[in-house]
Amino acid sequence: MADGAKPVLDVRGLQTVFRTRGGDIHAVNSVSFHLKPGELLGVVGESGSGKSVTMMSLIGLLPMPPAEVRAGEVLLGDTDILKISAEELQKVRGRRIGFVFQDPMTSLNPVFTVGNQVMEPLRWHMGMNKKQAFARAVELLDLVGIPDAARRMKDYPHQFSGGMRQRVMIAIALACDPEVLIADEPTTALDVTIQAQIIELVKELRTKLGMAIVWITHDLGVIAGIADRVMVMYGGQVVEQGPVAELFANPQHPYTRALLKTIPSVTGERETRLKVIEGQPPILGAAPSACPFMPRCAHSFARCAVENPPRRPIGRAEVGWGHDVACHWDARSGGPHA
Amino acid sequence: MLDAMPDPKPATKLVQVKDLKMYFPIHTGLLRRHTGDVKAVDGISFDIMEGETLGLVGESGCGKSTVGRALLRLYELTGGSVTIDGDDIAKLGAEALRKKRPTMQMVFQDPQASLNPRMTVAALIGEPLDEHGGMSATEKLARVYELMDAVGLNRNFANRYPHAFSGGQRQRIGIARALALNPKFIVCDEPIAALDVSIQAQVVNLLEDLQEKFGLTYLFISHDLSMVRHIADRVAVMYLGRIAELSPREPLYAEPLHPYAKALLSAVPEPDPEHEAKRRRIILQGDVPSPSNPPKGCNFCTRCPEVIPMCHEVEPDLLEVRPGRFVACHLVKPETKTPAAGSTGRPEVKEHNQQGEPRI
Repeated sequence: MADGAKPVLDVRGLQTVFRTRGGDIHAVNSVSFHLKPGELLGVVGESGSGKSVTMMSLIGLLPMPPAEVRAGEVLLGDTDILKISAEELQKVRGRRIGFVFQDPMTSLNPVFTVGNQVMEPLRWHMGMNKKQAFARAVELLDLVGIPDAARRMKDYPHQFSGGMRQRVMIAIALACDPEVLIADEPTTALDVTIQAQIIELVKELRTKLGMAIVWITHDLGVIAGIADRVMVMYGGQVVEQGPVAELFANPQHPYTRALLKTIPSVTGERETRLKVIEGQPPILGAAPSACPFMPRCAHSFARCAVENPPRRPIGRAEVGWGHDVACHWDARSGGPHA
Repeated sequence: MLDAMPDPKPATKLVQVKDLKMYFPIHTGLLRRHTGDVKAVDGISFDIMEGETLGLVGESGCGKSTVGRALLRLYELTGGSVTIDGDDIAKLGAEALRKKRPTMQMVFQDPQASLNPRMTVAALIGEPLDEHGGMSATEKLARVYELMDAVGLNRNFANRYPHAFSGGQRQRIGIARALALNPKFIVCDEPIAALDVSIQAQVVNLLEDLQEKFGLTYLFISHDLSMVRHIADRVAVMYLGRIAELSPREPLYAEPLHPYAKALLSAVPEPDPEHEAKRRRIILQGDVPSPSNPPKGCNFCTRCPEVIPMCHEVEPDLLEVRPGRFVACHLVKPETKTPAAGSTGRPEVKEHNQQGEPRI
């Protein structure tokens, strides 16, 4: 491997299909990525781009049927977690991979106290007794910045505000000291000032605990502030991937380039007219034989319609380590890629 | 100076809001006695000029949507007045109000929820014409087609149902409905919040085109500060039922004056890693207090990083501290501009000193 460290999570060629009455929906098409220890990988894409489904399918959280993971392997350490049994997978979820979902109101159980829910993974995975679990849960709530943690243990989710609930979710996800934390749009349901609080918290926790994080979002601004590496998804595929500074400075895929231009800025120059990406996101009816972005792409040419572009590296490093893009068009030369 | 924006057009005030109050009663106990109020909007005043877009920003629960709805009298106001195009909306009788409705329309946040799934696009867009128009069937269809062209929908889809459209297209149907009666004033209540980033720009550009074409006046309610910067001429920042700052767009984004406006703008993440790394964020502590029990004095005093003792006692008034910029904060005093100490400068300064000087 290019830079030594063995990835904690290595996903190769993941393919997820939803079987519906109207035919198969190819939600995730041969998605490959990896996560190095202590790294924060940002996953960006619009709704329907397959970013959440990718993460859900790799830890078996999708209802099957209708979902079906057709191909791929997901290596967590040395085990392929797509191959292991449901009981074994249960020992991975919450223990080795923590999860934070978008909406903290619907992901916390309203009829149990917050303390109870933070203690659950500790009792279940770590085999702690009640007293130990209680003490650890108070520690965790304290860690995520909930004031007066010991007393708030007895409160129910509805007694917490949105930002505080998301802190509780983070405490639960961190309870068993996981190797990987997957955060699926963790700040989307929150206001900007609360979002800023949560982002600061995650930054702080990373330096303290050093786990690897996958952060899913549609907000490129959030990604710019926290990620080490960014993966852009479109139409169920990874279209571009690279280190955050590199990707924002030198976006290669026409979709990434257009996306960065459509967002108005709060501080920079104000555009008199917003740039738009014409058209609609694709409906993923068939296994792709063409580039999914082709109908909306300003640079498409004949080859784009007949061949789905594979990911190719930009610069020196091999695919998956440096900056790579899935496009037949070459942004640097402004013409087709040889 | 930079923020001395000369008025570009000989503006007439289309909408005048004076001391608007909107309380929702709380009833508790067995007898459902009236025990308190949720003060969603607590005495705000502003004007919207003809052809202007006023942005209204704030966090959820600050009352921005309530303002939008109260302006069109979708609620019965608790107090204050709203004058749109000469008539006080708050006092109009049922029939007069109905006659007034065509001039003021609304675009809702969620096009999925605001369109009847059992009506075709033609029926949806034609419904306001049935209610107010008195047109013949052929006239109506012609008008529906005209509207569909205006918002960029394909005429061939007139007989389809909303489920057959994507989110952005559904929002276009909602906009066509709002336009059907040639309104002067449209309240856009988070019209792009439910849409994807790449679709948001399409809808915002459409709203701008329509404004230019039909001379519309917008109240654009949003929590997306970057989009508001793009579309609005002036921006009002709301916090807990009151306006914290009301300024022309550029000076507000260049140099926010109210501590809440500062914190809010600094919290918006920018899609630029270099800029993000250098940036110093103001992280507000805690949460927004409940509007049923707002703090005494300035409503931002519980979270304000620059709070002084006076803030807990005295409620600040919304004062014009720079030309065209209104701020409700004890710390922001009207500028005593020496170069501009002409005939108008003097008396203004004196007046504000009496009100704004802290007594500590």
